[in-house]
Amino acid sequence: MIQAIDVSKEYRSEGRVHRVLNSVSFTVQRGEKIAVLGRNGAGKSTLLRLLGGVEVPTSGRIDQTMSLSWPLGLQGGFQGSLTGNDNLRFIARIYNKPFDYIRAYVDDFAELGKFLSEPVRTYSTGMRARFAFALSLAVDFDCYLIDEIIAAGDQRFQRRSHEELFEKRADRAMILASHIGDIVKAYCSRALVLHRGRGKLFDDLDLALDIYNSL
Amino acid sequence: MFWRGLAVQWRVVGALTIREIYTRFGRESLGFAWIVAEPLVFAVPVLFMWRALRGSHEHGIAVMPFLWSGYLPILLFRHLGGRILLFIRGNAGLLYHRRVKILDIFAARAILEIGGNLTALIASFALFYAIGAVDVPQDLPMLYLGYFFMIWWAVAAALIIGGLSERSDWVAQIWMPYSYMYLVFSGFFYLADWLPPALRKVALYQPYTQAYEMIRAGVFGSTIKTYGDPAYTAFILGILTLIGLWVMREGRKYVVVE
Repeated sequence: MIQAIDVSKEYRSEGRVHRVLNSVSFTVQRGEKIAVLGRNGAGKSTLLRLLGGVEVPTSGRIDQTMSLSWPLGLQGGFQGSLTGNDNLRFIARIYNKPFDYIRAYVDDFAELGKFLSEPVRTYSTGMRARFAFALSLAVDFDCYLIDEIIAAGDQRFQRRSHEELFEKRADRAMILASHIGDIVKAYCSRALVLHRGRGKLFDDLDLALDIYNSL
Repeated sequence: MFWRGLAVQWRVVGALTIREIYTRFGRESLGFAWIVAEPLVFAVPVLFMWRALRGSHEHGIAVMPFLWSGYLPILLFRHLGGRILLFIRGNAGLLYHRRVKILDIFAARAILEIGGNLTALIASFALFYAIGAVDVPQDLPMLYLGYFFMIWWAVAAALIIGGLSERSDWVAQIWMPYSYMYLVFSGFFYLADWLPPALRKVALYQPYTQAYEMIRAGVFGSTIKTYGDPAYTAFILGILTLIGLWVMREGRKYVVVE
């Protein structure tokens, strides 16, 4: 279970305080797939970052009894100056997984070939997304935090992602931030709508999408 | 649960330390050897220049051992403090992995700096001993105790500096002048015994001056008069460490990860 209780997040820039999230509360059960809907700047990525423990809420707290992935997005989570292999080695060490297994899995799934021995900063956006996604599947989490990444990669990659995440790992929870109604409908059962810092979790997905579309 | 947590933390710090070596020194280069050589490259010319300018004795004690035992703690303090400045921001990407805590990143960096510094301490001693510039220290346990306090001070100071620098930029602004002034008032250049009593009393409030007194007592033994007070030093450093941990935890709220 993941429980967000009165979570608020403020950022300061040039002496001004921006409250991105204002007292957001919700609960995600094991195996649930939740969409996070909101316009640009509504705080979707911020919420995923707080859930993933990348940043810390200004107030409120997040309790978890499941293992959560880092927010899988188009950036973050890697050291650009290190090679793909070195990043894998580091992450295998942190999560206490055998490096050979992780490497073989990522090699097969992300299809990066010789790029694994190149610095990660030389990867294209799509390659980076594939790398991150493959790695998080290899480490194996109870809940995946996904920031738009499903839309990355080519057809073949999308098909395989779908297979790995939604068929083989159908029992895992997922929190998916997306703009795209079709993706949300295809994968999620409930939706959290973020607007002006407030968040509300809807059990009715269609209602949530209607509200989101009217924002 | 606690032991499992500890095992995770231990593994994370280990992984971070290796990663830090890779990113800082590259995989093919001299690696750890450079951590050792780096302080020596700074220390050796300074020490020889000093000796050439000021002669071999000051206040009746040998200058080389005095400077040797004084300069390496300075390097540790400046390296740890200087590198820790904004270190959270510089390594924010690592925080993507929930298991990596700020204190783990800090610990990895501190382990490298302290390990390098201690190795440099031993290497420089061997070098100076071989050319007859320093003798075997008179009271080794006292020297170890003093150096231990120096390391503790560097860690506590780095925690405070690192935590505060996340909150406001002025910490980075004052760090440079402060680290130079530190050369003057820390006890690198003086023994408490050389100071007038009133000034001595003030100087001995400083934990690093205390640690210097113990290091000097270790190096010169009973040939000089020193004023080190281990109980007071441990007490004040304990308080500074607690402040540092608190400041670091508060600083975490201000960290923005791109």
